[in-house]
Amino acid sequence: MTAAICVCALLTAEHVCATIVTPAEFSELVSAARAIAHGRIVSIRAQSSDDRVRVETLVTMRVATYLKGNLGPKVTFVVPGGTLGRYRSIILGAPHFVEGEEVVVFLSARGPSLPYVLRLGQGIFRVVRDSSSEDRMIAPPPLVGQSQEWQTVVRGDPARGPMSLTDFAARVRVLVEGGR
Amino acid sequence: MKQRTVMLACSVLFACVLSQPIEGYLKLTEQIANRTVPLHWSQGPVRYFVFDRGVPGVTPSQLQAAVQRSFGVWQEVPTASIAFQFAGFTSSAPGTEDGASTLGFLDRPDLQGVLGATGFLIDEVTGEILESDVFFNSRFSWSVAAAGEAGTFDVESVAVHEIGHLLGLGHSGLGEVEVRTAASRVVAAEAVMFPIAFSPGTIDGRRLKADDIAGVSDLYPDADLRGRTGSIQGRVRQSGRGVLGAHVVAFNPRTGSLIAGFALNAQGEFGIAGLEPGLHILRVEPIDDGNVNSFFDQPPVVDVNFKAAYFGNFVIAPRGGSTSSFDIQVQPK
Repeated sequence: MTAAICVCALLTAEHVCATIVTPAEFSELVSAARAIAHGRIVSIRAQSSDDRVRVETLVTMRVATYLKGNLGPKVTFVVPGGTLGRYRSIILGAPHFVEGEEVVVFLSARGPSLPYVLRLGQGIFRVVRDSSSEDRMIAPPPLVGQSQEWQTVVRGDPARGPMSLTDFAARVRVLVEGGR
Repeated sequence: MKQRTVMLACSVLFACVLSQPIEGYLKLTEQIANRTVPLHWSQGPVRYFVFDRGVPGVTPSQLQAAVQRSFGVWQEVPTASIAFQFAGFTSSAPGTEDGASTLGFLDRPDLQGVLGATGFLIDEVTGEILESDVFFNSRFSWSVAAAGEAGTFDVESVAVHEIGHLLGLGHSGLGEVEVRTAASRVVAAEAVMFPIAFSPGTIDGRRLKADDIAGVSDLYPDADLRGRTGSIQGRVRQSGRGVLGAHVVAFNPRTGSLIAGFALNAQGEFGIAGLEPGLHILRVEPIDDGNVNSFFDQPPVVDVNFKAAYFGNFVIAPRGGSTSSFDIQVQPK
C-alpha cells in the first residue's frame, strides 16, 4: 500500500503542457520565423497585458548568435501566462523558461508589438550538454523532410540521434539561404 | 490453440496484486508551495460559457451546439464521473481572467499555427481552479458540418481535445506523423489527446479512443472503476539509470486497444492505470519524432536517445490492482 502511494506521488512530478497545433516541418518553421536566436535566458518577469485582462510573461535573452534576422544583443519576447500576486495564469502549451537556460528560439512578430515564440513550444529547441563529450546538442533533432515522398517517422530510429548545435545552426543557415 | 495458450501463460510476468492502483497518463500538474497539485475539478458540474462571437461558417449558436456535443463525449464515458453545464453566452472573451470558464473564437496572431488552446487561472495558495478558458483560433477556417468540410477544421474535434485539457489531461503520444520536404502530417492517432491535428476536413477527433477513456476515468473514476480495471507499473532503465520521458505503450491483443504513459521521473518510473484486466504487450519508445515541448514544458530535457524496445514478457494487468514493479531495459541509439 505504502509503496503504491509513493509511486503515485512520484509519477506526477514533471510539468506537462498541452495545446493543439497544425503540423510543421522544420523548413516551415525556419521560413516563418522573423528571427532565430541562440543564447541564454537572463530574466523572466510577469506583467498584466496592455488591456489588463490577462497575464503575460516577458522573457529576456542575451543572444550569442542570430541564425536568422537580428533583433539586437538582448531580445525580450512575450509568452502567455504567468504568476501575478495570488493568481497564476497557465496557458497550456506556452513555453516555460528558467534563467540561465541555453536555448535556440524561433521568434515572430507582428507590427510594433514584442516578438513572440513561433508556434508556442514548437519554436524552442533546448541546448543540452552531451554527458560524455560535453558538446552542445539539440535533442531530439528537428524533423526534416528529405524528399518529396511522404516518409513515416519511426520513433527510436537509430539514424535520427541528437544533433550538435553546430550542425543545427548549419542546417538553419542552409534553409535560410534557400538551399536544402 | 490450447498449447499456444499454455505457452503464453508460461511466458507472462505474473502479477502481484496490490491494494491501491497507481496513476498513469500524462496529467496536468502545477507546483503549489512545494506540492505537486493535479489540475482537477473537485466539484461538478463544471459550468461553462460560450463567447458570443462567431466566425465565417460558424455562428455562436452553432459553436455552442458543437461544444455541447464535445462536452457530452467526455460526460458519456461510462467509467468516469464528470458533468458539465452550459451557463449561457457571454461577451467576455476566452482568456479574460474573470472567474468564468469560457470557450470561443479569438483572433490571436501571436499564437500562429495553434488551432486551439486551453488556459487555467488558479489560486496560487490553494491550487484551486478558478476558471478554465478554451479558445479556437479564428485565423483558421472552421466548420460544424456533420461530416466535416474540406479545407476547414472541425470545431467539434478540436473542442473534444481542448476539453480533455480542461479536465486535466495532458497530451498523449499515441500518434504517427509523416514528413516530406517542407510539409508534415498526422497519419494515425490512437488518442484525441495527440497534440498535432489531422488535416482539415477530417472529423476523426470527435470520438474518444481507449487511451482517452482510460485517462479521464483515472482522473474522475466512477465508484467501481478501480475494482474493474488493472494497472501496470515499472521502470525504464538504460545502463543502470532511469530514462526520463520514455513513452510506454500497453497493447491489449484481445481488444486491440492501446493505452500509454510516460516515465515521469529520473528513476524512469511509469504507471498505466485503467487497463482492462488481462494480457498486455509493452513497447517503450523515445518521443523523438517531434516536439518534446508538447509533452513536457520545462527542463530537464527528457531522454530521447535510445532505441525502441519491447518488454520480453507479456504482462498481466490484474483486476482491481497493479502489477509489482519491473524493469524494461533499453539500449542507446
